[in-house]
Amino acid sequence: MSAGLDALKHVVVLMMENRSFDHMLGVLHAENPAINGLTGNEANPDTTNEPAKVLPTAAFQGELDPDPDHHFPAVHKQLFFGTAGPPAVPSMQGFVQSYWDQEHNVAHSHKIMYYFAADKLPVLHTLARNYAVFNGWFASIPGPTVCNRAFAHYGTSFGQASLNIFYVLEPYKSIYERMLAAGRTTKLYYFDPASSTQEVVNLLKNQPQIFATYDQFLEDCKAGNLPDYSFIEPNYSDHPGEDGGELPASDQHPDHDVQQGEVFMATIYNAIRQNPDLWKSTALLVTYDEHGGIFDHVPPPSCTPDGFHANLADTGGVPFAFDRLGVRVPSILISPWISKGTVVPGPEDPAKGRAFEHASIPATITEHFIGAYDQRTVREKASPTFLDLLTDTMRPDEDCPTFGLD
Amino acid sequence: MAQPTVIRVPKPARSSYQPHRPLSKNTLILNQVKHFRELEKDLPREHQSGLFESVIAAGATEGLAAEYIRHVTKKLLHPPGKA
Repeated sequence: MSAGLDALKHVVVLMMENRSFDHMLGVLHAENPAINGLTGNEANPDTTNEPAKVLPTAAFQGELDPDPDHHFPAVHKQLFFGTAGPPAVPSMQGFVQSYWDQEHNVAHSHKIMYYFAADKLPVLHTLARNYAVFNGWFASIPGPTVCNRAFAHYGTSFGQASLNIFYVLEPYKSIYERMLAAGRTTKLYYFDPASSTQEVVNLLKNQPQIFATYDQFLEDCKAGNLPDYSFIEPNYSDHPGEDGGELPASDQHPDHDVQQGEVFMATIYNAIRQNPDLWKSTALLVTYDEHGGIFDHVPPPSCTPDGFHANLADTGGVPFAFDRLGVRVPSILISPWISKGTVVPGPEDPAKGRAFEHASIPATITEHFIGAYDQRTVREKASPTFLDLLTDTMRPDEDCPTFGLD
Repeated sequence: MAQPTVIRVPKPARSSYQPHRPLSKNTLILNQVKHFRELEKDLPREHQSGLFESVIAAGATEGLAAEYIRHVTKKLLHPPGKA
């Protein structure tokens, strides 16, 4: 066991919304070729059969309106356009065509290829440069939010590939139930009651005791009361606070302002970073639930099926046995025990690469805090865990940046 | 003694706050509202919001959806009649 793992007392997971790896981090390939981002030559054909190239012109807001379709049938087109479909390797050539389907506007459809320029995202780019960026972290399903988030909570979506999940809960327990049963502590922090959670009909209904607000998270960091495992949901909507103040959405879901999400991430990082005891004993994972219909160039790999089959009504008639992953998303593991500039190999490295996905979250938490636990899906059991990235060396304080909020 | 680098994080534009954005633009929140309605049905009638129909009506806003979600979340986490 590494010294970093030995010191680890808390894991915090922040799951943002609907942005692809290349869209957010692809630009970093130019400064660190180990990061599997963009060369600048990637393109998709538009509906006039002209190439729509990637461009570093992504905007914080107002660009991806309407919200790009990311339900299963649309993602299927994004992945397999120009092929016969599975089991063919995804072409990643259908993103522009898919976005065109919504507005029938050729120029607008090209915006799905836009990515953020260097340092336009000072928080996410700083975290990627300073800690561990995953070249191969994928959404669990080529589909929308709720079923993907379910994998982070349960290690399965119970056969659902849509937003409408009313689970069959047995025999698989949520990671929160597992933790509590093992005598560990855990919380799911939601932003506030008006944003609440995306786990409404299952966790909120059946396990209300695990919920706390984001303000409570900040208090818990300050007081050193953070539980063993924390999962944070961002603010999903622009809404007034109880005092009438403005509370902008911080989830980065199009067409919410990406900069608001940057502020949210920075605040969470600082809350951990500014408590020395917490900083040396906590690992923070920042990830995204799915790609939101936005371009990424890496074909998602296959995965261990979990024994379920999706309803054909949700997949546009495409058979789906949960045996392949969704589109790649940004994921960064943060801790002072991680070497600066770590890049975790993905599918581009057949020898050392690993394909992480959201089932890696309960797999990792179970492995570290609970130990042997058999009552989970074969999918989760097969998912790679990520705490081996913690090293024997804790970086000095001055080597780990902080964020100053304007 | 060396200090850690401080990375400046710009303040987002005030105009990014758009609570009057049509709810139809965000299927995630719309779906969330429908899930909350499933749970709200189990609450005593006097504790139901009476907002659901207006939230799913054409022209409803993200802000109105948030108001509905706030009401039901509070009722679920602090059930009527329980301390």
